[in-house]
Amino acid sequence: MPDMKIRHILLALTACLGAALILAVTLQIRTEALDYREAQRLVSSNAVREQLLLAAAAMGQERSGTYLHLAGTRGAGVNLGLAREQVDGAFSAAERVLSNGHSTLGSQDQSLTALSAVRRSVADLRAQADQAGDTGNAIAMRWFRGMSQAIDQVQTLRLTLLQQERPQNPQVRTNGLLRYYSGILSESIARNQALLTRAIGDIQSADPATLEGITRNIGRSDLAWELIHDQSATALPEPVQAALREAREDYETTLAPLGRRAATALAAQTRPFITATEWFEVTERSLTLVGTIQQQLLVSSRTRLARELERTERVLAAYAVLLVGGIVAVLLSILVVRNRIVRPIEVISGTMLQLANGDLAASIPRSGRTDEFGEMSDALRVFKANALRRQRLQQDKDQLHVRLREAYQMLRRDLEAAAAIQKTMLPAPATLGDLRYAGLYRPSSLVAGDTFNVLQRDDGKVSFFQVDVAGHGAPAALVSVASHHILSQALLKRSDNAPLSQIVAEINADWPDDLPYFTMIIGEFDAASGHGRMVQAGHPSPYLIGSNGTVRPLGEGGLPVGMIPNASYDDLEFSFTAGDRLVVYSDGLIEAESSAGEAFSEERLEALLQVNVSAPSADLLDGIDAELRRWRGSESLDDDLSVLILEQWREAGHSSGSHSAPRGDPSRHYIAAASLDASFSEADPTYERKQ
Amino acid sequence: MKLTDEQRGGVLVVRVDETRVDASKAPLFKDEMARRIEAGHTQIVLDLSGVDFIDSSGLGAIVSCLKRLGPRGNMAVAGAKGAVSRLFALTRMDKVFALEETVDGALGRLGA
Repeated sequence: MPDMKIRHILLALTACLGAALILAVTLQIRTEALDYREAQRLVSSNAVREQLLLAAAAMGQERSGTYLHLAGTRGAGVNLGLAREQVDGAFSAAERVLSNGHSTLGSQDQSLTALSAVRRSVADLRAQADQAGDTGNAIAMRWFRGMSQAIDQVQTLRLTLLQQERPQNPQVRTNGLLRYYSGILSESIARNQALLTRAIGDIQSADPATLEGITRNIGRSDLAWELIHDQSATALPEPVQAALREAREDYETTLAPLGRRAATALAAQTRPFITATEWFEVTERSLTLVGTIQQQLLVSSRTRLARELERTERVLAAYAVLLVGGIVAVLLSILVVRNRIVRPIEVISGTMLQLANGDLAASIPRSGRTDEFGEMSDALRVFKANALRRQRLQQDKDQLHVRLREAYQMLRRDLEAAAAIQKTMLPAPATLGDLRYAGLYRPSSLVAGDTFNVLQRDDGKVSFFQVDVAGHGAPAALVSVASHHILSQALLKRSDNAPLSQIVAEINADWPDDLPYFTMIIGEFDAASGHGRMVQAGHPSPYLIGSNGTVRPLGEGGLPVGMIPNASYDDLEFSFTAGDRLVVYSDGLIEAESSAGEAFSEERLEALLQVNVSAPSADLLDGIDAELRRWRGSESLDDDLSVLILEQWREAGHSSGSHSAPRGDPSRHYIAAASLDASFSEADPTYERKQ
Repeated sequence: MKLTDEQRGGVLVVRVDETRVDASKAPLFKDEMARRIEAGHTQIVLDLSGVDFIDSSGLGAIVSCLKRLGPRGNMAVAGAKGAVSRLFALTRMDKVFALEETVDGALGRLGA
């Protein structure tokens, strides 16, 4: 049960409710059907007993007629043939009702057997009477008793039937009893009709046994009336009451007094005051009145039973309609629950699962309903639309991401290629005549705004420059390449006597206004005179490391190139002989900041140079690089950095080619960075900029 | 980019309330100054007393202001110190615009 799905629970509940309803109605129908059968049985029983009653009355008639005929008494107006027909007709009718298919009387076979036995007795008696001839008078009394016995058997059969089909309704039961008692009354009157009529007609025949029988019959009549009277307490239909009143009045005023006086007279062996014919007629009238009572009782019972039968029929029909309606309602409920609830639940839950599993192709049912299912499918539609939008956005984002990555990779490849090209423009460490040089080059990104070059002209003179374009990255790199080319060409093509300051001024004048400016040191060495010349254009002052171990900055500044159109520049001449070194650097070196935000500064650079005056140029560059990394605390740089060291390594004009550094031990490396700060403070205790 | 303006007679004194004017700030500084020049200010004193560091981009931005002012305008710089002062010296900015230690001195140079 806990694992059952809602739709199954709904269907099961509906089916259970329907089954319970149908069961209840069916049980009620069964009860009503039993009632109906009971009513049918009562009707049948009543009909049989009615015929038996008629048969008994007719047998009484036949008995009176036959008995008086056998005894030879005159004055009895009995049509024997008619009486026999009535008896046979009543028997046949009773048999018909008993044998009828739908009369389901419990004692059907028994009753039929008893009935046919009675008929045989009656047939025997009739045969005896017809064959009697002159001996009739002798057998009359015996015949009378035989017929009376047959009548008693019929009455017994009636009583048996009445007791078997005990009616529940008290009125019907009272009716039955009244009919039984009136049967006794009718029978005792009928017996005295026969016996007294013969006795009055032939006083001699009235033996004491006959007289006793007559008196007993009168007593039975009185008793029957008392029994009838007892039952009259029950409310009886008006026609029955009227018939009872009339019959009783007749009995008390006429029949009973006449019968007693006649019996008394016969007992005294005197002729009664009444003739046989008169007595016969009086009893005939009484019998008719009693018959009327019986007729009315029969009508009342029939009506009542018919009404009961009709009622049960109606109730049964009503329950049948209720049953059919119930079944239809249950089927309809199941159909509605299935079509309006179970199916939509299946569809909706299926769609939800599909969506949850990311199947956005799931089609959402368009119910057109405004109930909860309509709301659910509307909500699902919104979920799906949102999911689709999310999916589309995600796809767009993914595509954009891919394109961005491709574009970035392309740009990066381009920049890497550009950086490789830019590096090839820088001269490798080399020796040009009496001069040798080495450079340090570290861009802050792939490409740099820094560049430098060292050139030897055909006449042997060596020129150099170091450039730092304002800003950094690709634009600065492009400008640095342009300036590299322009400066190299200008240095190679210039006439002998044109001062450097003039070249710089010309380049400055021609520099496009919308390009970034640059700072530089441009210079040349005249080996013959032992002098160097340079122009400082906004670039940091280079350090001159003398062969005697002195370290001093050269120059006091100058305008950058490309900033002011009509700028003029100064040439600075300095002595540069064997062992002298010039350290040219871009501001990326001295402005490099530690993690605390402190610049490396010219002071630290100067101190570093002071303690490493003897180190070979390559080691010095390594030392500067290592010290800078230590200072930064990382491999990265904020600005491009380049250092160029130029060295007059032998006396001018020396052509032996022997290679010996004038000063310094080539094997000696720069002083380790860790000891620098201590050395620095010792070397320059003032730690002040001396300018 | 934080700049504070003060009108002193016909001169607009712009104090730079940043410790650094480097590549990341230079374009903004240039736009801010351009807006003031477009608004009609031709006499400007730039107060750099609060600035510790200017890089080449920052220097370019300051010079571009001067270029934008053109021949009729004039600009003086006041309060440069330390690294800023050394940068100005190295690049000979004294040849390009008036350099004074104080705002008042700079105002005097502009003839205010």
